[in-house]
Amino acid sequence: MHSIAQKEFVSTLRDKRFLVLSVLVLALLLAATLVGRASYQTLQQERQLAQQTVNDQFRHQPARHPHRVAHYGSFAFRPRSGLSLLDSGVDSFTGTSVFLEAHQQNSVNFSQAQQSGSLIRFGEMTVAFVLQMLVPLLIIFLCFGAFTQERETGTLKLLLSQGVSLRQVAWGKILGYSRAVALVVAPALALAAALLFGTEEFTSGTDLVGRLGLFVLSYAVYFFLFIVGAVVVSAVQASSRAALVTLLGLWILGCIILPKATANLGATLYPAVTKAQMDADVHEEAQHGINGHDPQDQRSAALKAGLLKKYGVDSEEKLPVSVGGIVMSESEAYSAKVYQQHFADLNATYERQNRLSDWVGLLNPYQAIRPLSMGLAGSDFAHYVHFQQAAETYRYALVQRLNALQTSMGYGDKERKLDAHTWQQLPLFAYQAPPLGWALPRLLLPVAALLLWAVGLSWLGLRLISNSRLA
Amino acid sequence: MRLFWLLFSYEWRHFRAAKGLVLLCALLLLTGLYGIYYGTTEIERQRQHLTTLPELTRRNVEELKVKFPGPTDAGDIGYYHTTYAVHHPDAWAALSLGQRDINPYYVKLRLLGLQNQLYATDNTNPMKVLSGNFDLAFVLVYLFPLLIIALSFNLLSSEREEGILTLLLAQPVSPGVVVGAKLAFRLAVVLGLAWLLSAVGMLWAQVPLDGRVLTWLGLSTLYCLFWFGVALIITALQRTSAFNAVTLLGVWLLLVVLVPSLLNLGVAAAHPVPQGIELTIKQREEIHAGWDRPKTQTMNRFFALYPQWRDTATIRERFVWRWYYAFQHLGDLAVAKQAAAYANGLQQRYDLVEKLNLLSPAINAQGSLNALAGTDLPTHLKFQRSATAYHDALRAFYYPFLFRKVEFTHKDYAQEPTHTFTSQPELSTALRGLVKLLLSVGVVFAAGLLLLRARPINPR
Repeated sequence: MHSIAQKEFVSTLRDKRFLVLSVLVLALLLAATLVGRASYQTLQQERQLAQQTVNDQFRHQPARHPHRVAHYGSFAFRPRSGLSLLDSGVDSFTGTSVFLEAHQQNSVNFSQAQQSGSLIRFGEMTVAFVLQMLVPLLIIFLCFGAFTQERETGTLKLLLSQGVSLRQVAWGKILGYSRAVALVVAPALALAAALLFGTEEFTSGTDLVGRLGLFVLSYAVYFFLFIVGAVVVSAVQASSRAALVTLLGLWILGCIILPKATANLGATLYPAVTKAQMDADVHEEAQHGINGHDPQDQRSAALKAGLLKKYGVDSEEKLPVSVGGIVMSESEAYSAKVYQQHFADLNATYERQNRLSDWVGLLNPYQAIRPLSMGLAGSDFAHYVHFQQAAETYRYALVQRLNALQTSMGYGDKERKLDAHTWQQLPLFAYQAPPLGWALPRLLLPVAALLLWAVGLSWLGLRLISNSRLA
Repeated sequence: MRLFWLLFSYEWRHFRAAKGLVLLCALLLLTGLYGIYYGTTEIERQRQHLTTLPELTRRNVEELKVKFPGPTDAGDIGYYHTTYAVHHPDAWAALSLGQRDINPYYVKLRLLGLQNQLYATDNTNPMKVLSGNFDLAFVLVYLFPLLIIALSFNLLSSEREEGILTLLLAQPVSPGVVVGAKLAFRLAVVLGLAWLLSAVGMLWAQVPLDGRVLTWLGLSTLYCLFWFGVALIITALQRTSAFNAVTLLGVWLLLVVLVPSLLNLGVAAAHPVPQGIELTIKQREEIHAGWDRPKTQTMNRFFALYPQWRDTATIRERFVWRWYYAFQHLGDLAVAKQAAAYANGLQQRYDLVEKLNLLSPAINAQGSLNALAGTDLPTHLKFQRSATAYHDALRAFYYPFLFRKVEFTHKDYAQEPTHTFTSQPELSTALRGLVKLLLSVGVVFAAGLLLLRARPINPR
C-alpha cells in the first residue's frame, strides 16, 4: 500500500499539468495571505485610530450637562479578529461602526460592500476562498483518473494479479494524493502561522493557537473527503471523461449553485422586518414606558409624587435628587429592554435563515466548511452579534451612569453643568472578542457534517469500490 | 448549405438521444425560472416595504396631533416628525438586483443634521448578502457559460475519441462546415434558452417595452457568443476531451472568479475611499460644539448663508428651536467637503472598474445588466443626492415657521413636501458595455478562426 502511495505521489509530482496548477494555487494562496494581512493591517489601523479619536474627544469634553453628553455619545468600532486575515467571512458585509447615544440603538454602518460597486459580489480573494473552492478543483483534476486511467491502460489488472486488494489500491492512492495536496497547501498555512505568531501586531495566545490548529485540521478533513470522493467517483465511472464531468458538475452544484440558492430560500422562508418598521414598533411599545423628554407625561408625575413621599418633602425643590434624572433613567431602562427584545427577534430570524444553509451542510461539504472556517476565524455572524451586544451593553451602562450623575445633581440640574474632568472618569469602550470555547458549541453542526462525510465516504465509498468489478 | 442543415439536424437527433445534456438544459431552465421568481419576489417585497412607509409617517402624524392638540412651535414638530426619502426600483431591477440588497432603499429623515441620517443602513443578514442574489443576471453571467462549456467541450474530441471523425471527414465535407454546423446547433440551443428565459423574465417583471429590451437581448446574446468563441479556440487546439474540459473551466474560473476578485483588490488599493465614518465624527463634533458656542456667533454664521432670515428677533432665551436647527445645519455644512469626497471616491472606484472591465466579459456583462436595471452604485449615489435635496426642501418648508414664529397647525402637516425617487437606467454605461462585448466577441472568434485555418483538422 505504501509503495502505491509513493508511486502516486511521485507520478503526480512528475505530471506537468499538476505542477502548473499547483504552482498557480500555491501562488494564489501566498498572495491571498499577504493581501489578507495588508488589508487586515489597514482596516485595523483605521479602526484603532478612529476609536482613539472618539475616545479622546469623549474625555476632553468641556463642562456639560450629563444628558448632553449622553446625546453626544460615542462610537464603537469593531476590531478585526487575528484569523480574519485568512477568512474574512461576513466582515466585508457587516458595518464597522455604531453610534452609541441615549434613547436608541443605532444600526452598524459603513460596510466595505457599500463602498464598492457590484464587483465585490463576484467574491473576494481570501485564503479561505482558495482553500474552499480552488483546492477542491485541484483535487478533482488530480484524482479523476485515479482508477479510470489504470483501467484504460490495463495496469489495474496487473496490480490486482499481484495479490493486492482493490481496497488497498484505493487507500494507497488516497494516501499518495493527500501528500501531494499537503505539499501545495502547507507552505501557505506556514506563512500565515508565521505572520500570525512571528509579528507583534497580533495578540497571540493559546486561543489563537487553538483556533489556527482547528482551522488547519478542519481543512485537512475537508480535503481528505474530496480526495476520497474523487477516487470513489473515478472507480465507479466508466471513463475518465465521465468521471471528470461528474466531479466538475458536483463541484459547480456544491460550490456555486447550492450556497446561493439556500441563502436566498432562507431569506424568502423567514422574512425579516425592515429597520423602519422595527423602529416604529419599538417606538410604539416604548410609549408604554415613561418618556424622559416629556415633562407632561403622567407617569413622570406619579414618579415625582412617589419621590416626594419617600423623602418626606412637599416640593420638588427640596428633593436631594433630580426628578429629571430619575425619569431619564427609568425611560432608558424601559426602551433599552424593548430594543433588546426586537434586536433579539431580528437576530433569531437571521439565524433561522442561516440554519437552513447549515443543515444543507449535511448534503454539501462546502456549506459545512464555510461556517466552520469563519466561525474559527472569528468573522461569522455569531461573532458579529457578539460585538453588537457588547456595544449595546456598554452604551446602556454609559447612558445610565450619565443619568445617575444627572440625578445626583439635584433640583434645577438643567441650569447647571458638570466639570470637564467628570468625563475622564467614565469607562471607555474596549471590545474583547469571545474565546474559542464560546465559539465551538455554535459550530457543532458543521463539525458533525464534515466528520459524517469523511467517515461515510471512507466506509461506504470504499465498500462500493471493493464490491465493484473493476478489472 | 444543404450539407450544413443535414449536419445540423443530425446534431439535433444526437442531442435528443443524449439524456444527460437534455437534463442539463432542463435544469438550467428551471434554475433560470427560479432566478426570475426570486428576483421578482425580492423586488415585490421591497416595493411592499416602500408602501408601508407613508403609513408609518401617517401614524407618526396622528401621534403628534394627539401630543400637540393645538397650534404649536414648529420646532417640536421638526424634532419628533419622521418622514422618508424612498428609492423605488425600476421594473428591470427584478432581473438584475445588483446592489439593491446592500444599499438601503429608503432613508428615514428628521429635520436634524442630514449627514448622520443619510448613511443609516437597513436591516440585512450579512450571511445572505455574502452569498449573493440568485437572479436572472446571475444565471446568465455565471451559469450560462458553464452550460456552453458542457455542450461544447467535446465538440470534435469525442468524435475523434470514438473514431467517428475519420469516417466523417472521409466524406466530401469540409471540416469548417462540420465545426460550423456543430457550433451553430449548440448556439441555437443556448440562445433559445437565453431568449426564452429573458422573455419570461421580462413578462413576469412587466418591464416597459422600450429600447432596453433589445439592449438586454443584445448583451445576453453577445455574452453567450463570447463563450462560444472561447470554445471555438479550445476546439481548434484539437486536444483531448479531458484537456478541453479542464481548460475551459480554467478560463471560466479566471474570467468569472479570479479577475473580478483581483480587480476588486486593485481598485480598492488604487482609490482608497476616505472613510465615511470620519465625516460623521466630524459632524457630531461640530453640532455639539454648537451648544457651547455663543448663540450670536452661530446665528451670524447661519445668516451669512441665509440672509433672508437676518431681520428676525435676536435670541435671548436659553433654548430656542431656530438656533438649534441653525447649528444642526452648520454641522452638515462643516463636513460638506468630506461628504463630497466620500461620494466622489465611490464614483471613481466604479468608473475605474468600468474602464477595466474589458479584462473580463463577465464583469462587463454583470455591470451592464445592473446599469440597464439601475441597480448599481451610481443610481444609489443619485438617490442620496435626491434625498439631500429633499432634506433641503424640508428645511425650506420649516424655516418660515421657525424664523417668523408662525405656529404650526394640524392643517400644515398636509403641506409638508414628500419625496419619491425611481431608479433611472444608466443607458450609456449599458451601451458602452455592449460595444465592448462586441469587441471581445470579435477577438475570440478571430483567434478561433485563425487557429482553425492554421491547423487543419486532424481526424486522429
